[in-house]
Amino acid sequence: MKKATQIAIFSCAVLLVGAVAVAKSVPYWFAPLMDNPPQVDITDPELIAKGQYYARVADCVACHTAPGGKAFAGGLGMQTPLGAIYSTNITPDPETGIGNYSYADFERAVRRGIRPDNVALYPAMPFVSYMIAKDDEIEAMYAYFMSAVLPVKQDNQVATIPWPANMRWPLAWWQLIFAQPREFEENPSLTAQQNHGAYLVEGLAHCGACHTPRGIGFQEKSLSNNDSEQFLAGSVLEGWYAKSLRNEGVGLAIWSEEELVEFLRTGRTHHTAAFGSMSEVVEKSTQYFTDTDLHAIASYLMSLPPRKGYAANWQPTEDTTTAKLRSGNITEPGEIIYVQECAACHRMDGKGAPRVFPALAGNSIVFAEDPSSLIQVTMAGGKMADTKHDMMAFTMPGFYHLSNQDLADVLNFIRNGWGNHGSEISTRDIARMRRVVDHAPTHYVPHENVNVPQFSSIVGGASHE
Amino acid sequence: MNKPIIAVAAIAVIAVAGWTWNESRYYDAPERPALNVVDIDGNIVGEYRAPLARDMLAEENAESIILGMRLLNETARLLPDNVGDGLNCNSCHMAQGKRPLGAPYINTINDYPKFMPRAQDVLNIQERINGCFRRSMNGVPLDESSVEMQAMVDYMDWLRGDVEKGNRVSIQNMEYFKVGQFTPDPVRGEQIYVQQCASCHGGNGEGMKDQFGDFIFPPLWGDESFNLGAGMARISRAAPFVLHNMPLGVSLDAPLGQITLSKQDAVDVSAYFTVKPRPDFPDKIHDWPGVPKPPDFRAH
Repeated sequence: MKKATQIAIFSCAVLLVGAVAVAKSVPYWFAPLMDNPPQVDITDPELIAKGQYYARVADCVACHTAPGGKAFAGGLGMQTPLGAIYSTNITPDPETGIGNYSYADFERAVRRGIRPDNVALYPAMPFVSYMIAKDDEIEAMYAYFMSAVLPVKQDNQVATIPWPANMRWPLAWWQLIFAQPREFEENPSLTAQQNHGAYLVEGLAHCGACHTPRGIGFQEKSLSNNDSEQFLAGSVLEGWYAKSLRNEGVGLAIWSEEELVEFLRTGRTHHTAAFGSMSEVVEKSTQYFTDTDLHAIASYLMSLPPRKGYAANWQPTEDTTTAKLRSGNITEPGEIIYVQECAACHRMDGKGAPRVFPALAGNSIVFAEDPSSLIQVTMAGGKMADTKHDMMAFTMPGFYHLSNQDLADVLNFIRNGWGNHGSEISTRDIARMRRVVDHAPTHYVPHENVNVPQFSSIVGGASHE
Repeated sequence: MNKPIIAVAAIAVIAVAGWTWNESRYYDAPERPALNVVDIDGNIVGEYRAPLARDMLAEENAESIILGMRLLNETARLLPDNVGDGLNCNSCHMAQGKRPLGAPYINTINDYPKFMPRAQDVLNIQERINGCFRRSMNGVPLDESSVEMQAMVDYMDWLRGDVEKGNRVSIQNMEYFKVGQFTPDPVRGEQIYVQQCASCHGGNGEGMKDQFGDFIFPPLWGDESFNLGAGMARISRAAPFVLHNMPLGVSLDAPLGQITLSKQDAVDVSAYFTVKPRPDFPDKIHDWPGVPKPPDFRAH
């Protein structure tokens, strides 16, 4: 018996040592630095400009900039169940940023998720998506980062994940299992335009990082629609539900291609608006996309068939809510709370005000399969993307101060009003989201790097008291 | 090799998820902050929290309170014979009359009857409400004994909660800062208007209507706007309102309307829109009887 225990312990130890040893060796044979890297002319203005575009498509700035911090200097906290991790400084500062990266270092970090010191990156970095980007795109991005991004001296913040979960060697195993090399595969049944859209969506634009459900190992369940209908089928991250982008009832069925293009370009349409992380995606990334790329993406998303067992279309029920509210037949707590707290902006007809206050009637995030985003935007508020297309970017205030019961009642009313229909939200769902909001990650911005905002004022010379 | 790793990961994830799920049961809204209730000498005699919307349904006179709430929100639609423009009471009284510095109704019932400098007389609440109908809503007074008038009073009375007559909730209705100390610049005001107001109130101050033709955002000038006798036509009244309540929806903190403009901004933009063409109020000649009219009195 005693001997058996000894053997078991010994075997475990051997296995562990083996696992560590394999993990440590992974970067050298699984994703080695490229042989004969190309000479990238980082001073070529045309290449830099292209690189800026690809960096925007890849939305590097969104994660690599902390709110209130300097661009690309990192420090944005991301909540994981075990603690926060922080994005890194990718400015060309040689000491704290990526200034000493060779092109081969850069390429391997972006496409394979491995740092020059042969340590694997957390999969929060979407290298599984970036992997399919073309060489010339990565080269252009390298030129842009090395030559056009302002260097910022800012140390990277250590993750707050406790030992032993903070050890990085298991990430190499993660890469072996979930980040096998792959290339973009055209789907012959799609048009050339749609295939271009697929290339962007699967690759640099990394839509799946938020919109594809993740498995137990935090891996995206599918990296391409060619593999699985789980691709872009909707997922929850930090309490935001990135809805299904498939052409299905609970996805984009009620959207037109033109509306999608308008949404990605401006962050809003006449009846809806981006909020949460999508608002930042539009503000920092998609608003800059070329028309060609936007139409390609929209056309591609519209080509994604519904998942098995999911309705292809969304049918609203009859709207009895507008008449009931307008006639003053207010009998339920959800109704009276709506009239008191919400109706001033979203209106009795649930249609809001075009491009100012989003509609709730027939809004696909309101009746989405998973109500997380609806709950969080109501509780914590939301901000529209600030783009050059609209004069004002409006916010929704947070209603954190309403009780769980009030929020559940009013959200169930909204989710089932004006022809909407969706699953019931419980007070427990509200409580759970309150916990997420309370534990929202803090960000790291050292005092000297606080980015003093160019106050929106408005007109030169205004003083703010 | 992979299976044990995945199994361990799965157990860890399930354990963490289970723990957070269980722990989340204790999360609910914090207790709402209270405002002080003070007596006539300024002594704190109690606390005030706005009554909860859901509790309105259980009130004995719930039907009247709800009617009052609706009339205050949708005055133009529900009282077309009394409202002559596109405004509602709650175009100016923000957040259902609950917003300090947004002309709240919280103290209204307890403040009236009240001496009004403009009338040089003590007005009761019905007379005060009718002042709004005649001026801000460019219409005709509501019968003081009507069901509708009673309903509006009942809503305000509900909002007062259990604050007794003679006491007040310690909030300000408006921050009447000294507008006269600022030099208004209507040219700059126009720039601010275009950038921060026109999205909702329209490039020509025409407001924005919904599918039924009812105003979502009120017109700030023109035939469907408030008349020359309205407080909002005077820069000393408009600027404090704008300062704390406009533009809407630019902050993550509830309620809508947070201070984002400077006083100078508020003065400049008010200097721009208040003087635009709007309906006349012939009875203005009877305002401030026997006393000097204020500098921003609108003769025309």
